[in-house]
Amino acid sequence: MINGMQAAGVIERYAIGGAVAATFYLEPVATLDVDVFVEFHTEPGSQMISPEPIFRYLRDRGCPMEGEHIVIAGWPIQFLPAGSALVQEALAKAVEKDVEGTSARVFTAEDLAAIALETGRAKDKARVLQFIEADVIDLDRLQEILTRHGLAGAWEQFERQFLK
Amino acid sequence: MKLDLTPILESKRTFRRRAAARPIAEKLRMLDALRERTLAIRRASNSGPAKKPVVRETRPDPNHESLITE
Repeated sequence: MINGMQAAGVIERYAIGGAVAATFYLEPVATLDVDVFVEFHTEPGSQMISPEPIFRYLRDRGCPMEGEHIVIAGWPIQFLPAGSALVQEALAKAVEKDVEGTSARVFTAEDLAAIALETGRAKDKARVLQFIEADVIDLDRLQEILTRHGLAGAWEQFERQFLK
Repeated sequence: MKLDLTPILESKRTFRRRAAARPIAEKLRMLDALRERTLAIRRASNSGPAKKPVVRETRPDPNHESLITE
């Protein structure tokens, strides 16, 4: 459905983030919804971005709304704008994954870890630890990303707190 | 008596590694099941009597002397 939305030009590009994306690299990570990061089209002559074209496209195809989520195949989906330089970069570098013949764009493990560190809640830090423990991230690549986005200090603090 | 947690932790790690190595379609089906269980637990835990709030807001007592004196 989301690929169709991209093909129809409703969104520029998208990538799955959060716990569902983490599940591509780790053991299943329980979650109640799916985070989909998108580059929204801006209306001509407007600086405002709006998720309304997404909602309209999906509502027209029978997807119900549930609060701020739209339900696709039984899962509440939250569409989030790429609100920081880190997320914009992650969106550009997202990788194609095959799910039983359907292609899905997913953030890389390093970008997921960097975003989790930037978000900084306890559960996000636990996620970073999971990535490290599972040995699915390239730590040099992660550090490059963190340095580029001014998160070197957050990483040092994380290392002191959990890895030393 | 002392319990050696090492084999338990190792077995958990092995279980997680095996779960991580499963095909993504299977892991997504597991997510579906996890979500159903989480929702069921949430519904069950919300169905009991409402908890008394720890912090309450009360109206100021007009007869009570103010701590700040003019």
